[in-house]
Amino acid sequence: MNNSDKICFVFDNQLTEIDFTKSEFRPSTTLLNYLRSLPTHKGVKEGCAEGDCGACTVVIAELNQQNQLEYKALDSCLVFLPMIHGKQIITIENLEQIVNKELKLHPVQQLMVENNGSQCGYCTPGIVMSLFALFKNHHQPEKEVIEDALTGNLCRCTGYKPIIEAAEKSCCNHGNDHFTEKQYEIIEMLLSINENKKSISLLHKEQEYFLPLNLKDALEFKKLYPNAVVISGATDTALRQTKKGEIIPQLIDLSQIEELKHFTKNNNSIEIGAGLTLEKAKNEVENIFPALFDILKVFGSLQIRNIATIGGNIGSASPIGDTLTFLFACKAFVKLQNLTSVRKVAIEDFIIGYRKTDTNADELITAVEIPLIPENVIIKSYKVSNRKDLDISTVSASFRLQLSNKNSVEEIIIAFGGMAAYTIRASKTVTYLIDKTWNRNTVEEAMEVLKTEFSPISDARAEKDYRAMAAANLLLKFWSEISLNQKD
Amino acid sequence: MESTQNQIYHDSAIKHVSGKSVYINDMDAGTQMLYGKVVYSPHAHAKILSFNIDKAKLVKGVHAVLSYKDIPGLNQMGPVIHDEPCLAEDKVNFIGQAIFLIAAETMEIAQKAEKLIEVEYEILKPILSIEKAIQYNQLLSTPRIIKRCNADEAMQKAKHRLSGMLKTGAQEHWYLETQTSLCVPGEMNEYMVYSSTQNPNETQAIVAEVLGIPRNEVVVEIRRMGGAFGGKETQGNHVAAWASLLSYHTRRPVKIHLFRDDDQIMTGKRHRFVSSYEIGFDDDGMITAYKAELNSDAGATADLSMAILERAVLHADNSYFIPNISIIGKAWKTNLPSNTAFRGFGGPQGIAVIENAIDRIARFLKKDALEIRYKNFYGINDRNTTHYDEVVENNRLYTIYDQLINSSEYLKRRKEIDDFNANNEFYKKGMALTPVKFGISFTTAFLNQAGALVNIYLDGTVLVNHGGTEMGQGLHTKMQQIAAIELGISPEFVKVNATNTSKVPNTSATAASSGTDMNGMAVKNAIDIIKERLLTVALSEFNQKTYPNPSEIKNIVFYNNVVFDKIHPDRIILFKELISKAYLQQVSLSSTGFYKTPNIYFDRETGKGHPFHYYAFGMAVSEVKVDTLTGQNEVLRTDILHDTGKSINEMIDIGQVEGAFVQGLGWVTTESIKWDKDGRLMNHSPDTYKIPTVNDIPADFRTALLKDAPNYNTIHKSKAVGEPPFILAFSVWLAIKDAISAVGNHQFEPDFELPATNEVILKSIEKIRLLSK
Repeated sequence: MNNSDKICFVFDNQLTEIDFTKSEFRPSTTLLNYLRSLPTHKGVKEGCAEGDCGACTVVIAELNQQNQLEYKALDSCLVFLPMIHGKQIITIENLEQIVNKELKLHPVQQLMVENNGSQCGYCTPGIVMSLFALFKNHHQPEKEVIEDALTGNLCRCTGYKPIIEAAEKSCCNHGNDHFTEKQYEIIEMLLSINENKKSISLLHKEQEYFLPLNLKDALEFKKLYPNAVVISGATDTALRQTKKGEIIPQLIDLSQIEELKHFTKNNNSIEIGAGLTLEKAKNEVENIFPALFDILKVFGSLQIRNIATIGGNIGSASPIGDTLTFLFACKAFVKLQNLTSVRKVAIEDFIIGYRKTDTNADELITAVEIPLIPENVIIKSYKVSNRKDLDISTVSASFRLQLSNKNSVEEIIIAFGGMAAYTIRASKTVTYLIDKTWNRNTVEEAMEVLKTEFSPISDARAEKDYRAMAAANLLLKFWSEISLNQKD
Repeated sequence: MESTQNQIYHDSAIKHVSGKSVYINDMDAGTQMLYGKVVYSPHAHAKILSFNIDKAKLVKGVHAVLSYKDIPGLNQMGPVIHDEPCLAEDKVNFIGQAIFLIAAETMEIAQKAEKLIEVEYEILKPILSIEKAIQYNQLLSTPRIIKRCNADEAMQKAKHRLSGMLKTGAQEHWYLETQTSLCVPGEMNEYMVYSSTQNPNETQAIVAEVLGIPRNEVVVEIRRMGGAFGGKETQGNHVAAWASLLSYHTRRPVKIHLFRDDDQIMTGKRHRFVSSYEIGFDDDGMITAYKAELNSDAGATADLSMAILERAVLHADNSYFIPNISIIGKAWKTNLPSNTAFRGFGGPQGIAVIENAIDRIARFLKKDALEIRYKNFYGINDRNTTHYDEVVENNRLYTIYDQLINSSEYLKRRKEIDDFNANNEFYKKGMALTPVKFGISFTTAFLNQAGALVNIYLDGTVLVNHGGTEMGQGLHTKMQQIAAIELGISPEFVKVNATNTSKVPNTSATAASSGTDMNGMAVKNAIDIIKERLLTVALSEFNQKTYPNPSEIKNIVFYNNVVFDKIHPDRIILFKELISKAYLQQVSLSSTGFYKTPNIYFDRETGKGHPFHYYAFGMAVSEVKVDTLTGQNEVLRTDILHDTGKSINEMIDIGQVEGAFVQGLGWVTTESIKWDKDGRLMNHSPDTYKIPTVNDIPADFRTALLKDAPNYNTIHKSKAVGEPPFILAFSVWLAIKDAISAVGNHQFEPDFELPATNEVILKSIEKIRLLSK
């Protein structure tokens, strides 16, 4: 491979390069730390360094396939610098304009002032950036869309109401603002960066960071550096650095590989590229897999979903991994690839332990294949968490049910997260239910089996008995929703 | 923007939204600046047998590694009682207690050095719960007791009696800006300390004591905090003391900005309480006797625990007249970080107990809790004396109740909720109305004093200094408005300065909701003094020419950027021009101001007195829906009516009411804190500590301020607003309990505690399900 060794992006409306061989920064320096090291960009704040508060929110503009700009809010504390290669960074300092020597605020800023949307002001730059992305992407958004845009921004002072009002009042200009006026200039700059299709190797004395721009190069890197940590959104891996101070010696970053970002409808299945962000996946699956949509809706925050990927969620094999129970219920497959071959593994066989997967050292996850759901099959997913949003599940579950024409259970899959060291099927409960008549009585008996099937742990989120209770009740909930049609 | 009216925006709003507001961590202290790191105890209770910091000192880029031996002054930072070492000596009493300090060129270097520090501990058994502390008799100080009449006798005579226990949980402040301080050394012993503190005066005192230098060498300044909520009333001092020590030894600027997890681990929280109570009442639900013992978890040192406990005891009545009452408060020492001030300052913990007890009375008598509350409200002309003998004057409970019952359509919705519950097995709705009566003033009487320094410059602009600190609450904005109104000029000509101990000395913390009340009066006092001088100048100006009727001082008005005689409106001068004239006439254009709240006294021995200047009132109605299979819930609607007197700035006051309510909502629902068996905080980051997000606020959220309700004897007839509305979140807490109760058709008393997490809710529901079978 003939690699380039610099990254380039648009910042303060200018092409900006970082050569890590000459820089004080390691490649995996977070965008937040980079910005805060500059005297001119201290508006961005660190509130938690783990993507849970949004004080560090900035907006990235990137080219879509039609070469138009797409604006996304993200948590700069979770973004490694190479991830912004070929993109425009927009910070709080870029929103205002000076018109006739007077400060002119962006509409989202002006309405925040007029609605008393800030008190202590520390979360405010992050909130304004989330509002700015909302402004660019939505015209007169519904309340639900506004709330979704703000879920990743914690404010401890206002109680949020004035911020919602600022959003309602400001997002009414079809996204037109001074960024619209400058967009072609920016597009030109981004195109000029992206002309160079060479993959990037960033070699720093403490860290090697590989940024392949195509799948082939990625697989080559993986073969050469089998121990490298593979990242895409890095929403999980970044915490090793920001919270534990770890310096990860080798990283392969898949975030720039277009081939991994597909969403393909086949006759009998859907294929989601491992690199597709959860936000894009969410928008694609709304009608095809409503149960997956329900899970993705409450997955992290918009800032997280804008960078986290489906491949990352599967590959990290977390005990909770919110999409996993659904994939179990759907009998999905994981597609893996090395330089010479492609293989397909059933999701259940793929997850082999606590954060362990059946991936060979030279392989990458390239896609997940989800069979379409037959008409007579019902699939539902649930998430129980202490807080509704931006919270890790205490228990998550997916159910798949197929009834015979005599209303007996022909097939049922019950998969849980949070009940064991990895996503797991409730096989005893399933055995109990098979061929039984699907009614409340059977379900209540099955709940007793379910209560003793697992030995969940007690932790910061919940006690084990609550987990067992909630898990059993989810079966009743599933029954009530399909049999009584009682939902909310 | 209309000048001087109550609609000006937050004085920092434009800076906030454009990223221009400077917090201490954003300040540039030059290339010499070092990063400070605090090395803290990993054990909840242990003896330090030996330690070695020599290797850490050798790391390249490390400029200082300090232990208690390097403290030139007093190794103390306790705010009230000197029981809190600045750096641990031979013993550690909680996980997170500071032992060593490191100053290094980067944080990464400091972290590297930290790993090279060796300490040998002898681990001792920690006390990690109130129950254990009681068992081992770890009482912090003399109990606080307030009694009236004979509660025991009345309890015996009561027709009905209920008794029980209530646990209320801790709460992490979760200010967005963690504790921060930057210390810049000056010449010889001078130190300039930028500190995120609610109490610069005390920060100054502690820095001076620790460094062993007089207070006139130390200046503490704070432009703004990124949130505080009580968490920076005393504990901001710690970080300032540590940064100063490092600065003292390195002679360089040193900044300490705590990492989020460290902040959560090291600093104190809202006190958790375990309270027992007994309540006696008649068939109508009239309360005849109430006995409560409130036990708080003080943590390892005193901090403000006794004052907080005192406020809990003083608020144990909430809004209710209880003829026979006995409240005992005890604070217990544990091996946890010292718990500290948090919005409400013990009030919420005291109020939770009586609100839950009243809720029980209602269920017992099969009545709506609303009726019981209304019946027991303090009276207007009789039944209006508190258990500590202060008369509840200007009682607005009835006015607020009447308006809110109507505007919230309480009765109609109660019926709808009953219907919903009858038709739904797996979802239940609940509703509750809860009131607050909150006493305004520091209960430590001498703290009720404030100072100001107002300067007018020759271009007619005004710089206001006062002792209060800005943590987002809009105090500076209100000071700007007050100064503008008093001087009759537009607010844009008034700037409020960063709070600075060299401008206004010996002030009290910005706390107890009293910032505007006290500092507003001090600012007014300073302006009154300057105005008196200006009036003489204006008079000499107006009376220069021979008028048949000379102008009189009483007729001269400052309004709309001019000064004029209201009897002879043609005698007029621009404010700015008057200032120039005054200067030329050698008249001082600067003055200090002072205020002390009148008539405040409280005798701790007898538990009687007049600790509060006045009361703030409010009420809320909340409706929730609970998923009875998981415990998950949502707030469907909240209606709040709150009394802020004649509001100085309605927008800011509504922001305080809503913000306090949502913070309270977090405390009563999702903000759960646990420690493991070794005393390690389990919820040490927002990953597991869940404050409300935008989706957790009431879906339908209606807030109003009580109209036509001027206060007496306060600045511009306003009322304090910071803390009281926090308590309105009990409407959500008890609405959840109402929904749980609906599972058993209100036949069984649900198990309940605070916070009502999904887990607490579901377990309570499952128990009722078993009982109902």
